[in-house]
This record gives sequence, structure tokens and C-alpha cells, in this order.
Amino acid sequence: MNITEIIVVSLIKIVLVIVMILVAVIFLVYFERRISAWIQYRIGPNRVGWKGILQTTADVMKLLLKEDIVPSASNKTLHTLAPIIALFVAFSTYAVIPFGPDVTIFGYQVKLMVADVNIGVLYVLALTSLGVYGITFAGYSSGSKYSLLGGIRSSAQMISYEVSMGFSVAGVLLLSESLNPQKIVLAQSGWMWNAILQPIGFITFVVSAFAETNRLPFDLPEAEPELVGGYHTEYSSMKFAGFFLAEYANMIIASAMITTLYLGGWQIPYIDKLGLGVTLTTLLQVGAFFLKVIFLLFFFIWVRWSIPRFRYDQLMSLGWKVMFPLSIINIIWVACLIMIFNL
Amino acid sequence: MELKRREKDLTVWQKLYIPEIVKGLALTLRTMFKPKVTMEYPEIKFQPPSSYRGRPVLVQEENGVERCVACGLCSRVCPALAIEVQAAETELEKERYPKKFEINMIRCIFCGFCEEVCPEEAIVMSKDYELVFTNREDAIYGKDKLLVPVEKLKDRLEFLRKFK
Amino acid sequence: MPKITVDGKEFEFKQGQTIIEAARENGISIPHFCWHPKLSVSGNCRVCLVEVEKMPKLVIACSTYAADGMVVHTQSEKTLTARNAVMEFLLINHPLDCPICDEAGECKLQDYAYKHGKGESRFEEIKMRKEKRVSLGPRIIFDAERCISCSRCIRFSDEIAKQKQLTFVNRGDRVTITTFEEEGFDNPYTLNTIDICPVGALTSKDFRFKSRVWEMSSTKSVCIGCARGCNTEIWVRNNQILRLTPRRNEAVNSYWMCDHGRLDTFKFVNAEDRVDGSFIRREGKLEKADWETALKEAAKRIKEFKNSEIAVIGSAFATLEDNYLLTKIAKSIGTANIDFVRHVIPGDQDDILIKEDKTPNSLGAELAGVKPGKNGLNISGILDGIKAGKIKALLVMDDDITTFAPDTEEILTKLDLLIVLAVNFNKTAVMADILFPAASFAEKHGTFVNFSGRVQRIRPAVATTGLDRALDGMTMSRWDKFGSQFDRWMQGHKYDSKPSWKILAQLGIQLGIKIKYQMAEEVFDDLAASADAFKGLDYDVIGDLGAEIKIKVKEPTLA
Repeated sequence: MNITEIIVVSLIKIVLVIVMILVAVIFLVYFERRISAWIQYRIGPNRVGWKGILQTTADVMKLLLKEDIVPSASNKTLHTLAPIIALFVAFSTYAVIPFGPDVTIFGYQVKLMVADVNIGVLYVLALTSLGVYGITFAGYSSGSKYSLLGGIRSSAQMISYEVSMGFSVAGVLLLSESLNPQKIVLAQSGWMWNAILQPIGFITFVVSAFAETNRLPFDLPEAEPELVGGYHTEYSSMKFAGFFLAEYANMIIASAMITTLYLGGWQIPYIDKLGLGVTLTTLLQVGAFFLKVIFLLFFFIWVRWSIPRFRYDQLMSLGWKVMFPLSIINIIWVACLIMIFNL
Repeated sequence: MELKRREKDLTVWQKLYIPEIVKGLALTLRTMFKPKVTMEYPEIKFQPPSSYRGRPVLVQEENGVERCVACGLCSRVCPALAIEVQAAETELEKERYPKKFEINMIRCIFCGFCEEVCPEEAIVMSKDYELVFTNREDAIYGKDKLLVPVEKLKDRLEFLRKFK
Repeated sequence: MPKITVDGKEFEFKQGQTIIEAARENGISIPHFCWHPKLSVSGNCRVCLVEVEKMPKLVIACSTYAADGMVVHTQSEKTLTARNAVMEFLLINHPLDCPICDEAGECKLQDYAYKHGKGESRFEEIKMRKEKRVSLGPRIIFDAERCISCSRCIRFSDEIAKQKQLTFVNRGDRVTITTFEEEGFDNPYTLNTIDICPVGALTSKDFRFKSRVWEMSSTKSVCIGCARGCNTEIWVRNNQILRLTPRRNEAVNSYWMCDHGRLDTFKFVNAEDRVDGSFIRREGKLEKADWETALKEAAKRIKEFKNSEIAVIGSAFATLEDNYLLTKIAKSIGTANIDFVRHVIPGDQDDILIKEDKTPNSLGAELAGVKPGKNGLNISGILDGIKAGKIKALLVMDDDITTFAPDTEEILTKLDLLIVLAVNFNKTAVMADILFPAASFAEKHGTFVNFSGRVQRIRPAVATTGLDRALDGMTMSRWDKFGSQFDRWMQGHKYDSKPSWKILAQLGIQLGIKIKYQMAEEVFDDLAASADAFKGLDYDVIGDLGAEIKIKVKEPTLA
């Protein structure tokens, strides 16, 4: 492939991924509302479009038409910048997630990821750390104590949980011997899923992922009863929608990361033994990836409407006194596995 | 001072959280498939029980005459001053009838005092909860809107006889 | 002085007082239906039974004379049991129609039933049925079922109205009240019986079902029906006068007032023909104009005439303040032609309350200075002057002067300028060139002087556009207190009118006189400072019951 072709293919992939995320977010919000309703013996949105499927679209239209209110006490530049950062981080993280094996289309060897970076995992970790800036800026620039408290909580929470998240990932890296997401996926062939090999690491990573995406039971930055919405209290119109979008996009990324690192990514165990054609196998594998992500997304929603929010001190003690030691134990466990089984 | 111990301390199993969280998740998963309580309002309407206090109405006897004798007790007892009554003389045996009976539904708080104080069982709380108006004038219900035939209020009248 | 002990409280009493009177003077009220301080004792209701030590049985407090050393118990167990029993008997045949009864809210039987009744009846038989809605004379409806046969109304017509028109007929529980054959209950004082009736047996045809009594506000005022000046209460709901009741004043009217005063003296206030806003005649027609335009026009037109061509007519219906201001205006214009019209119906009076002079303030008008000055013309002189073309401009305040003589109306057409301050569109008002809306007696502060020289206050009971019930200290019903502009029961019409003194003061300013009165009270204080008759008087001294003027009154000159 020459340089032009690479650019064109990359652009197509970027557009595809962005569109995919946007559409996915729209449905995700819809399903979140539907599932939360079902859990509470309710029906949920069912009026706009077939079974209410266009509810989110209608809400987005409403947000678009709303007045964008910028508080007079705010730092205008940062106030505008914050949702952009949040969105940028959410979308760009997606670049390194593989959602299928390499395929050949029209004679081109195409990797089913936007960018095959050999330090993909580090890239993801780095970008999610950037995400905290969006929230902190939002809290700081609003000129409101509630927003500020939300922002501070968020940064403290993210820093705390990033530690255990990093250590959990270390276990994965020890086994796969690579920072390349695609290679990590390939290292989990058969039933050698990291979730099975290192369940403690899996649990700590999932918990940290919840914390990183500010989802219940870790949504302290938003904490409606105490902070009136937290860092986005002073946001309205499309800026608010930006944060909303970022939150759900982050959920998708977290699910994709969990799938990639622990659930064998796009792999279906022993599918090659079935002797299906290459195309069908690939399609099934891509499907498997999405299925796994969808299940995780459902899990995210399901947990949100089942478990109440932590108190701030509980959150901190869980992060430092439980998650952090557990993730270290996981590294030792993985080291032992490697020693004993020569993996 | 001796520290008070929590009455219900967690067992080791519970302290692990995970099993308890799984239990909770199982519960919510189960509820997802249970029947829903939501009533889809404009299509399906809530049929209130006879103890329900909807908008107050005047009982109209079979012969088309209201029971009300315009004594004004409802108006006096109304904590929100929603009711205005103007009495006048009638040839009927009851001597007195309300020439004007107006309830300002913006003021009404649905407390049911008017019904409780009425010596004639003439004003009762109906099951009607659909009250829509777009200006103050429409919100003042006169006799035309307030009179309801007694057959339609049987439920409530029976309830009152039993429990009032 | 002999002493009596009632409920452990010892106090002195005058020889000849009954227990109920002695107790009442000392703040102990004993329940009573048939007893009335101004009527003879009949002792038939039995509710005032009290226990007197050393007496074998309970006695009725209304007809037992107090004696030295008597010990009375009005709250002992024996008394209360007896009172309960009496109440139970009275309620046996009394219908449970309080909801439709006009008396409800000011009913003695209702009050005592709450206070002394058992709350439920043991009477399981059928109540006695009697006639309802009996027309007892032209102004009263009688409900025989409600009557508890206290005989107050009978004694009132015998003793106070001095006309034996009512009587009991039949016996036992069939007893009822009726008039004598072919005679109506039609003396001039009949409506007092509805006040003293302790139940709703007698109700006024005029007020019947108009309003519940607790919905109205009541304002202390004075009747404008005649020179007696009976003290009254004005009852108002939604800014409309619904009834007048007498107010006790032993110096004037005791507990009573006549039917004419009660029924005919307030209806013009809310009548259709009220003057609402000021008017100027343009091209032969009265057209509405704002206050300033009308005042300026009036001043401009007055100035066009010579002093001697102008005459001013005051009113015995207007207050002292109004008339006083009128004399000031006359003085500043420089005319001595000032007088007022007497409304006297010769012979139409009795020795109870009613007086020949049908105005409340003819003495006051004179004392305020509304009488011809030096070389000035009196009322007939003024009219002759108009006829002769010598008087060309006339200012009439608060009165219909066409009643003076049959040809007055025709004479008035000869005027070049007729300025009228009027409450209603009467015959004089419709002829006006400039017409100002005057507030009625129920819409202003002021004072009247009655025939005997008693100064009495009137207060606003109905709000005009310039009056606010809350801010101007007017009496308020519960509805007035808690209503908002959006409530229909608060939207009673407010007339755009002002007290005549206020109109005259503003006219005076336009004419270049220095007048700066804010309140009627200031006008009165000014008058008190200048006229001997009112020396030392002010609104506080006059108070609710009035005060005598300081000079000796000869019967007013009734020309």
C-alpha cells in the first residue's frame, strides 16, 4: 500500500469508528433507560419511534435547540474546552482497539483497528489519564462549588484507581509479553482468556474500569443528591451533551478494553477446528467481539441500577486498601503461573 | 465511653462483597422479567378506589335538582378559600338553593373538608383527576361543570356512609 | 349597698335588680333566650335556671330579684344538668335546618347548643310539623317550626313599638305566633324582631338568603334615614352593602332602628345609577372626563362669573366636613349666597325614633356655616335670583334640590353653569354642566350632628377606587383578608368617587385657595378649632358612640 492508500483506508476506518460510536451511544442511552425501567418495574421510554427507539435522538434535538448558558463567574475558555477534551479522549482511545483479525478486502490487507500501535495498552492508559482533565477543567472553570467538588473528587478517584488498573494490566502484559492489543488478543487463543487465568486481575480491572468511567457505584463526581450533578452542574445544551456522550463513549471503550485484555477480544475458542471459510470465520469473530462488548455494556447498566453509590471514604479505602493490594497479588499469581507452567 | 457495636455485623462472607453483589444483581435481573406496574396513561386510565379524592363535585338528584342548599359551610371550611356560594330562594321544599356555586380549581387543594362538613352529602370528592385549563377563568368551575348525577357517585356516597 | 355572691365572686348590686342583671353587670353571663334588657320579664324559656343556696329548687335568674347575702351558682352540677335538660327540650321540636337558616352564625340556640347541649338527641319520635315560610307582614317571613316561643317579638311590638300586633295561639307543642285577624305585622319597627329573635323563626324578606353572616364585614356607622341618627352596622360582602343592623347606643336609639332606615337608606350605594367618574357637558351631552380636566374646567368656568352671580348649595345629607369645606369655597369665591335644602315631612314622626326631618345632618350643616351670609340669599332667594337672571352659576353638593319646589327643575335650566357633586344620577345631577362623583355615606369618613346635637362618626364600609380595605384601615371579612385580585368574590365594583370635601378641596386648589387636607379628621379638627359648637372634640373623643356638641341646641330651624 502506498501512502495515499494508507491515508484513505485510515480515514475510512476513523469515520467508521466514530459513526459506530455515535450510533452505539444513542442506542446505549436508550437501552440504559429501558433496562433501568425494567429493573424498577417500569416500562421506560416507548413513545418516540418504534418502541421508543428514537427517544435519544429526540433528546439530542432538544439539547441542540437549548440555550447554551455560560455562567458569568466561569472561566470561559476552559469552560468550553472541558467537554471538547472529554470527547476527544473518548474517541481517540478507540484507535487501538482491534475488533477482528486482519482481513483482506479488495486485495488490501486491512487490520480491523484504526492504528496498530505496538504500545497500544500504554496509549490507552495514557489517554484515559488525560480524560480526568476534561472533568477537572469543567469543575474548576464553572465557578461553582458543586462543580469544583465534583471535579476534585473525580481527579482523586481517577488517580487512585489508575494505580490498581495499571497493576492489573501488568498481569496481562506478563502473560502476553506484548503491549500490542492485537498480540494480547492473539495470546488468549483457545480458552486461555486472561479472565480465567487471572480472575483477581480481571475483577480489579473491571472495578477500576467502573471507577474510571465514573459509573455507579463510583459516580461520585456526579453524585446528584450532594453535588447537584457535580462537574456538569453548570453545563447546558450541547456542552452538556458532550459530557454525556463522552461518558457513554468511555463505557464502550472500557467494555472493549475488558474484552481485549481479558475476554479474548474477537476470538471464539477453537473456531478454526470447525473448518469454516475464512470470510465466515472473520465475520463470526467480529460478531463475537461486538457480542462480548454488548454483554459488558449491559453489565455496566445492570450494575448501575443494582448497587448504590459508595461514600467517598469508602471509595478511597476500597481503592487503596483493597484494589491496590489485590492487583499486586495478581501480579505474583501470574508470575507463579508463568514459573510453574512455563507459559 | 464504651463504643457501641453495630447491631448487625457483617460475616466474613458478606465482607467479601462480591457474593453479595452477585445476589443483588440476580435480584435486579429477576425483576427485569416481572410484570410492570406502569399504566400507559392516555390509553389506559387509572380507576381510583372509592377512597380517592378527585375534584369536588355537586350531587345532582334523579329529578335534576342539586342536593346543595347553599349553606356555605364548605365555603367557610375551605382552607384555600376556593369555594364561593351565592344562595337564592326556591319554591322547592328545601327553600334554598345555590344560584351560583363556583370552585376555583387553582385554589382547591383536594383536602375534602367541604365533603366532610357538608350536612346534605351534596358535595363529594369524585374520581375525576383530569383537570386541565389554560387560563384562570377556565379554572373556575361553575354549576355547569360541578353538577354530576347521583348514579355516577354511588361508590363515593357508599364509602362516606361506611367511613365518615 | 347589698351584696350578692355569684360563682364565688362577691359584688354589690342595686336594689331591685334581678340575678341576671346583677350578674351581667359584673361580667357573668347567664344563658337566656326570652330575657332581653329592654323588654319585660316573661320567664318562659327556663334556660337561665340557676342554683341559689337555701332555696329548695332552682330559680330562673331573669325573674328572681337579687337579695342581700344571696349565694348563686351558675356553673354547679345541678345548674348544668338543668340547663342541659332545658336545651334538650327546646331542641325536641326545633328542626335541624341550620344549613338553610339565615340566623345560623348569630343564633343563640345554636351557640347554646354548642356550649350546653349534649350533641345528640334522645328524641326518637317525629318532630312537630308546623307552617314554614309564612309571610308575617310586608317585611318578615316566619318559620313556625324554628320558633321556641320565647315571646320576645310579641313583647317588643307591645312594649317598644307600642302596637299589639302579634300573639301566641294554640297550646303545648302546637303553640305558634300569628297576627290578629286581617291585620299584618306592619308597624314601622317590625324588623327589630328579627334582631331579637334568638332563633331563625323571623327572617328579613330583604336580606333572605343574601349571604351568610360570617362572610360579611361589619362597619360602625350612622343611619341617614332621619335626624335621629340611629347607630348602625353596615354589612358588606364583595364591596356591596347587604344589610344594616342597629348598633346599641343608649343616648340615641338603644337597640333599635326603624324599618325605613334599615331597608331604604343603603340601596342607592350599589344602585345602577351611581355616578362613576366625573362628567363634563359637551354639546348638550354629559361626557366622561378625567378628574383633572373636570376640576380645571370647573375652576375656569367659576372664574368667569362675578361673586354675586354665584350661589352655593350645601346638603344635610353630607357630613360636617363636606359642608365646612363648602363654606370655605363660598368664602373664597366671595359669595354669601349659601344655603341647603331641608327635607322635612311634617307630621311623619313618633316618640320612639322617627323624626320629621329626613336628613341626618341638618343641624350639622347649619353649625358648619351653611347658611346665608350678610346680604346673602337663602335657598328660595337663590332660586328667585336664578329666575330673575341675577344668579348665573350654581354649585350643588350631595343633594337633589329639585325636591324643593315643583318648578325648581325648570328654574335650573336658566343657569349658565351648574356644577353638581352627586352620588347618583338624580334630577339635579342630570342637568349638571360639570358633574363630580361624590362618595356616599358608606364610602367615607365624616361626622353627622343629629337633632339633639350629638356628633356621630361614619366610617367607610364600601371601597371606592381611592380606598384600599387593608391600607385604609377599613373593616375586613375573611374573604377580604385572604382574597386576591383573581378571585371573583374580590371583584366587586369600586366606584370612581371621592368624598365631597376632597373634591371641594381639589377644586379649591384649582381656584387658588390654600387647602391641604389629607384626611377627613384634619377637616374636622380645623372645624373644631373655628366653631364653638365643636370645641375640644375630635374623632377619638367622638368615638363609636358620639359626643354632645358644646352649645345648647334649640330645635333646628325647620323652614
